[in-house]
Amino acid sequence: MRNEIRFLRGGREVRLSGFSPTLTLLDYLRLHERALGTKEGCAEGDCGACTVVLRRCVDGHVTYAPVNSCILFAGQADGAEVIAVDDLANGGLHPVQQAMVESHGSQCGFCTPGFVMALFGLYHAPRKGPLTRAAVNDFIAGNLCRCTGYRPIVDAALAACTAPPQDRFAEDEPEAVRRLAALADDADVLVGDDRRFFAAPASIASLADIYASHPDAVLVSGATDVGLWITKQLRDLPKIIWLGRVRGLDAISDEPDAVTFGATVTHQAAMPHLAAIDPDLGALLRRFAGRQVRTVGTIGGNIANGSPIGDTPPALIALGSTLILQQGDTTRTLPLEDFFIAYGRQDRRPGEFVRAVRVAKLGPDDCFRCYKISKRFDSDISAVMGAFRFTRNGDHIAAARIAFGGMAATPRRAAGAEAALAGVRLSDPTTWSAALTAVDADFSPLDDQRGSARYRRDTARALLRKALIEAAGTPTRETRVVDIREDAVVGR
Amino acid sequence: MAPYIGTAVSRVDGVAKVTGAAKYAAEFSAPGLLYASIVSATITKGRITRIDTSAALAVEGVLTVLTHENRPRMADKDEAYKDEVAPDGSPFRPLYDDKIKFNGQPIALVVAERSEIARFAASLVVVEYGAAAYVTDVFRRREAAVPVKAPANPSEALFAPPKPRGDADRALAAAAVRHEGEYYVPIEHHNPMELYAATAIVDPDGKLTVYDKTQGVQNIQHYLCGVFGLKSDDVKVMNPYMGGGFGSGLRPQFEVVLAVLAARALQRSVRVVLTRQQMYALGYRPAMIQRIALGANRDGTLDAISHDAITVTSQYEDFYRQETAWSGLLYTSANAKYAHRLAHLDLATSCDMRAPSAATAVYALEAAMDELAVALKLDPLELRLRCYSDRDQHEDRPYSSKALRECYRQGAEAFGWSRRNPEPRSMREGTDLVGWGMATGVWDAFQAPITVRIVLTANGHAEVACATSDIGTGTYTIMAQVAADMLGLPLDNISIKLGDSSLPQSPVEGGSWIAASVSNGIATTAARIRNELLRLAKQMPGSPLADVGSDDVALADGKLVSKRDSSRAVSIADAMRQGAVERIEQEETTNPAQDEKRAHNTHSAIFAEVKIDEQLGVIRVTRVVSAIAAGRILNTKTATSQILGGVVWGIGMALHEETQIDHTFGRIVNANIAEYHVPVHADIHDIKVIFVDEPDDSNPLGIKGLGEIGIVGVAAAVANAVYHATGKRVRDLPISLDKLLA
Ligand SMILES: Cc1cc2nc3c(=O)[nH]c(=O)nc-3n(C[C@H](O)[C@H](O)[C@H](O)COP(=O)(O)OP(=O)(O)OC[C@H]3O[C@@H](n4cnc5c(N)ncnc54)[C@H](O)[C@@H]3O)c2cc1C
Ligand code: FES
Ligand code: FES
Repeated sequence: MRNEIRFLRGGREVRLSGFSPTLTLLDYLRLHERALGTKEGCAEGDCGACTVVLRRCVDGHVTYAPVNSCILFAGQADGAEVIAVDDLANGGLHPVQQAMVESHGSQCGFCTPGFVMALFGLYHAPRKGPLTRAAVNDFIAGNLCRCTGYRPIVDAALAACTAPPQDRFAEDEPEAVRRLAALADDADVLVGDDRRFFAAPASIASLADIYASHPDAVLVSGATDVGLWITKQLRDLPKIIWLGRVRGLDAISDEPDAVTFGATVTHQAAMPHLAAIDPDLGALLRRFAGRQVRTVGTIGGNIANGSPIGDTPPALIALGSTLILQQGDTTRTLPLEDFFIAYGRQDRRPGEFVRAVRVAKLGPDDCFRCYKISKRFDSDISAVMGAFRFTRNGDHIAAARIAFGGMAATPRRAAGAEAALAGVRLSDPTTWSAALTAVDADFSPLDDQRGSARYRRDTARALLRKALIEAAGTPTRETRVVDIREDAVVGR
Repeated sequence: MAPYIGTAVSRVDGVAKVTGAAKYAAEFSAPGLLYASIVSATITKGRITRIDTSAALAVEGVLTVLTHENRPRMADKDEAYKDEVAPDGSPFRPLYDDKIKFNGQPIALVVAERSEIARFAASLVVVEYGAAAYVTDVFRRREAAVPVKAPANPSEALFAPPKPRGDADRALAAAAVRHEGEYYVPIEHHNPMELYAATAIVDPDGKLTVYDKTQGVQNIQHYLCGVFGLKSDDVKVMNPYMGGGFGSGLRPQFEVVLAVLAARALQRSVRVVLTRQQMYALGYRPAMIQRIALGANRDGTLDAISHDAITVTSQYEDFYRQETAWSGLLYTSANAKYAHRLAHLDLATSCDMRAPSAATAVYALEAAMDELAVALKLDPLELRLRCYSDRDQHEDRPYSSKALRECYRQGAEAFGWSRRNPEPRSMREGTDLVGWGMATGVWDAFQAPITVRIVLTANGHAEVACATSDIGTGTYTIMAQVAADMLGLPLDNISIKLGDSSLPQSPVEGGSWIAASVSNGIATTAARIRNELLRLAKQMPGSPLADVGSDDVALADGKLVSKRDSSRAVSIADAMRQGAVERIEQEETTNPAQDEKRAHNTHSAIFAEVKIDEQLGVIRVTRVVSAIAAGRILNTKTATSQILGGVVWGIGMALHEETQIDHTFGRIVNANIAEYHVPVHADIHDIKVIFVDEPDDSNPLGIKGLGEIGIVGVAAAVANAVYHATGKRVRDLPISLDKLLA
């Protein structure tokens, strides 16, 4: 058992013990270290001003992950090197800093440290093929700037991030691997005492144990939801169990007919696997928050959070997914849709955690579509999210799985519409109308600031129609809200 | 040496900003610094009947909780609270008494050793209220709105309501073609990226140094002296950097009062940082209901304009701008009438926000012009040309310069406007509807009195000082450029001092007047330096400049050179050696010439393309061309990004930005940047900025200022494009998905 967390700062090892379990990395940097370069613009993960990069060694590769330090618990930096804007320039400016100056990517400068660090992440991101404007947009979609109009920043990215990395961080990678390896151990971590602690179990068995003894503890995976409970709702969370060290919980097993994602698989890591099932899923994940949130936010967290407007549950439900839960050493499985009981209530027992989700792949007769509709196109939570899996039998629909987010208190299947589609002829739109009417009856959505009930209903119907049009013809660009296979995915 | 003015010099503060070295108001420290957290009112109107701070005080590390019951003394007269740009009324006084005037009003300040302690203890303050009835919905105060009067504050005099001309009612009734429509713009919040913050440092001698997020250090300094009865040299206010203001920092905000209150109560240094949510209790762009009526002749000339507006303010101050005046100014029309009324709501006072009044009013005017064009079956650009005015329509006087025609021409050409099919819903790409819209923009070219000090040293370095601010607009950089050119020195030899209330006088940084004012101020003071150098140079034995007059020399390459004969020159070093001086210091106030005979404005033409997925109402602004006429451009880099930023604001205004209030509780429901949507990268596609040539002699440098013009008209261009794409006219902003489908 280790009673401190350890991470690297500027090559130096930092050991922290006796910190508040919910200390954020941003507060650690600004208040404890007084390293003031990193800014706070919102404390909710929305603006990216607090972006820092976590350098880790994963399977012998060095990775550079941009994260929002305002909602990341300091303990989550365990085992990493924390690189902040103050650390980049060394004698001269870093290439991304130089490019930001030259292309006038900074006006008032408050967003700048966050952009610089996001670009630093991009600079080190593995790339297939040349860097496109779309890829840059995608990488920095989680950073807001109120002054520059963005284009100068994108220009800076294109100028600085095309060549292979040549900075001192690239140069000292062998050394970094050594130092990071020295930090790695297999110990369970517990900082604090029985009443207040930050725990980071290292194995599934230790996790099961500690959670069984402290069922009142809060599980934290990426903290992109939990972080806001602290910074926004000012909740005091005395007991934190962070899942990031649990060996094997981030496993992805990609089999011919299904992919199983461990609970702590991040959205960024899941993206290529989901995109391989269907490009729509890739497009969906690309519009899931910004890079910083996708880098740490997890599939397990998105499911366990149980939000009615979470993006992955409807998609996974429509595909057909099984949730694997574990309590002590017992596991059980259930269809993902059954996990969501009511608003804020899921089928999860005390001490039970999400272990994995098994997602069915598509068969040769299947056609999948999913669409995310949000007020702001990018970096916004869904108003309505619809996902459709049609199994065709020639011109007929043999079976349909349809799930919506934003239409009810939980992510839910549209049972009426699914039934009404049985036997429908794709080539004859007049046969669709029963299903289109049924989807109306399936839900009674709410009015809120993301959209009126009426808008939600209209949208759900329009999405179903769109999915049917696409299933009926060749999937064309013409009916898409987002372009198909827009090549904007950078790195892993 | 090539001049710096007009070139794309990189920002002189760029390095400090990209390395994180630039320090903002919340980043200054002092020994024993305390941290304070604000408790905000959760009702909208009424009184605090009981406030119990005992639980908060019991938290270890809490030093005090200030409320209206125990705060140190503050002034009790309104006059003390009136700042340089205060509107008429009785300014808000933080922690003054038990009255609640708006939801989110600060009502207590918890001061602690650490920020997390202050934040936590603030959640323990228990407040009981006596609630009173309130109204936060402008539509409910529509009937009760009162006509605006000319402002009492002399510096606000230019916002007096415009005078009608002709007989607009008669002309409207007689018009061959009429359009009348009601347009609405909701409340919007500035949302600069930096959180509002103030650090009040108690110096060893008991004086205060206050780092505040503000657009005017001297405005804050005077205000604090008034509110706390301080002498002028008891308090110094600083803001070396500001993380964006957009008007929200023109007036003193409550963070600075609270920081100073606590510092005075405890005689310790204190920092106050607002949360993003608390920033929604600062000022905002007033919501605006407006009715525009246009009467036209068949040939597309205008005969009548009528502009009625209702704007929003608080119950205690009358904030407004010349909301109705833009429509009467822009186009030729013999008849015009205006009515501007104020709706007093139970909200904080509204305030300036990027292009105040023009952003909202010109949106309505330009949307109405688009509708008139449809009624007249005229191309919208052609309609603007037929109504073009070469004279200021209010005062019937010429413009100092107005290259708007050129904006239309170059903008239309760059956009490809001539290929537009006038029929709505006629342009498609796949099943996306494509729409092209355009609009005009207009803003004032102000200039204000300012004082600049320059100290030139014999080694050829100059320090230029003025109490202005760089709120992100690039003031450091343009000051350095202008000074380098005026003094004939390399840019690296110039150091700029600003953001310090003890420096020479400057007005607040806003309204796009600083670039023109400070640049001309530098030119004036630099001329004094040059004259002094010439005086010394003439004393040199056999001086090559002995018979050269002061108008005939210039400073270039470190030398004083005759303009007629460049071989006649004396180096700065030699001249100063002659006078046996190490430094020359000059401080001079520049009062811009009062040129009442001409109107001074900037203009723009904006062309926008949208693509719309009709079934889902998803709108994307795929192209914008903004052609700007704004006098001489000092720095193409800073200028382009000012305009880009403005265009992006306009897109946000058209499609997203809206402060949503739950009128049942009087509370803002999207007080964060997850739900108050500002545009993100991926919303922004191709934006082209064109600066048209516009020589202007209103001031020696020919500068007009650029901070505001970029946003004006953009929302209308987008809204007009949405109409062209869909055939649907959404007259209340933002054009959200549901409104488009409704
Ligand atoms: C700026 C921003 C943008 C966002 N955008 C989107 C978006 O577009 N779409 C979307 O769907 N969501 C979005 N989110 C929400 C969030 O990112 C996702 O829900 C994310 O998947 C949560 O994962 P996490 O690992 O960070 O969860 P955490 O915050 O760590 O945990 C979330 C919840 O799940 C519980 N939990 C975590 N792991 C387990 C487990 N293994 N077993 C049991 N319980 C567990 C936690 O106790 C907590 O209740 C956004 C968040 C932010 C801050
Ligand atoms: S401060 Fe805004 S994302 Fe962290
Ligand atoms: S430069 Fe001001 S917010 Fe980006």
